[in-house]
Amino acid sequence: MSFSWTNMFRGVALAGLLLAVEPVHAEYLRIQLRVYGLDCELCARGVSASIQRMAGVKSVDVSLKKGLLEIVLVRGNTFKMSDLRKRIRENGFRSMEATVTAVGEFKGSKFEVLGSGESYEVDSPDPRASAPAELTFDVR
Amino acid sequence: MWRSGVTMFGPELSYGLMKNLQISVSVPFHLDHGDHPTGRFTAMMPGDPQAEVLLGWRFFHRSPGIGTRNEATLYGGVSALTQDVPRADGPPLRRQPGMYVALAAGHVSRRYDVWVGAGYQGYGTWSRGIDDRQSSSLLTSFVVGWRPSFFDHDYPKPDVRFFWETTGGLIGEAQRGVAPPGSSGGDGHGNAPPPPPPNSSGIVVLPNSGGTGVFSGPTFLCTFRSVAFQGGVLFALWNQPNGVQPAEKVRAVAGVTYYFLRGRK
Repeated sequence: MSFSWTNMFRGVALAGLLLAVEPVHAEYLRIQLRVYGLDCELCARGVSASIQRMAGVKSVDVSLKKGLLEIVLVRGNTFKMSDLRKRIRENGFRSMEATVTAVGEFKGSKFEVLGSGESYEVDSPDPRASAPAELTFDVR
Repeated sequence: MWRSGVTMFGPELSYGLMKNLQISVSVPFHLDHGDHPTGRFTAMMPGDPQAEVLLGWRFFHRSPGIGTRNEATLYGGVSALTQDVPRADGPPLRRQPGMYVALAAGHVSRRYDVWVGAGYQGYGTWSRGIDDRQSSSLLTSFVVGWRPSFFDHDYPKPDVRFFWETTGGLIGEAQRGVAPPGSSGGDGHGNAPPPPPPNSSGIVVLPNSGGTGVFSGPTFLCTFRSVAFQGGVLFALWNQPNGVQPAEKVRAVAGVTYYFLRGRK
């Protein structure tokens, strides 16, 4: 087999093309969500079990005293915050503010969690950032 | 469940049909029975031996803060007596269908709970011409709950709450249908007619039935994982049974509940 600059060029071009079409890993990684109405152990157990069954959820921790759910998600998930809020509501509780760690990219003043179709106004976006970045931000 | 002279066992199965709609089926039965006016045992459990299907609709629900809920639920159910209840003044009354409606509202927090409720249990007849009827009853309740700081652990730890419950019951008089003159005679059961004369409708209102009473006492609820233990004792603050029925002095309840918790999809 002989070395060919033409084949080398084709290989590099193909690799570049593959990299370009590969889906960007962008997703929710961790969500700390304030939930109103959780008053007892059974409430915590029920809502925890319900969220644990959502696709992409790795673990759920509940603090009754703080009224806080901490959800860790697996890489490559297609989780949506709106689905989480809907699930909380359907269990009879009220979701409030959240602290979210997600991978996404800035689009203007918004941080878009790619793949989820959800974007958020963040306090101080980096206008120069265009590549996917991991960011922790508050959601009201 | 136990009250002076009456020991009951009450299995109950509940299922959440929707977020705010629950169905419960209970089949309490008497292990023994005294001559006390029974009425309803608890808001969710009949006092007479009967199969009951109860729908609970939580029509109001708010969560104004961390660990806090305000809610109100309307209950409606139907029942059918499954056992004859012995009577000192004659044969058992024939079994009838019943209905129950109730309203309960409460405020729940991590430290205190307050609940108020009222319900009505009534009975009908399966067919015309049979006028036996158990006592209908009106039940009210007021419950104050407290979770001591000693038990205010975070999830997942055993959750213990203590309550002070007060219930008031107004139990109507039972009635016995009497066969019209010229028919088979007696009281329609092949036995001697009861002492009181029938009224103009041919019905005997049984004087030794019904009454009023107020009971109050401590109860508790302990939940851990998918199991709940509950129990308590209520003492008669005031009790006025009609006729010569013995006065009920104390009632006790103990229960175990298992929750199939998967949460809503």
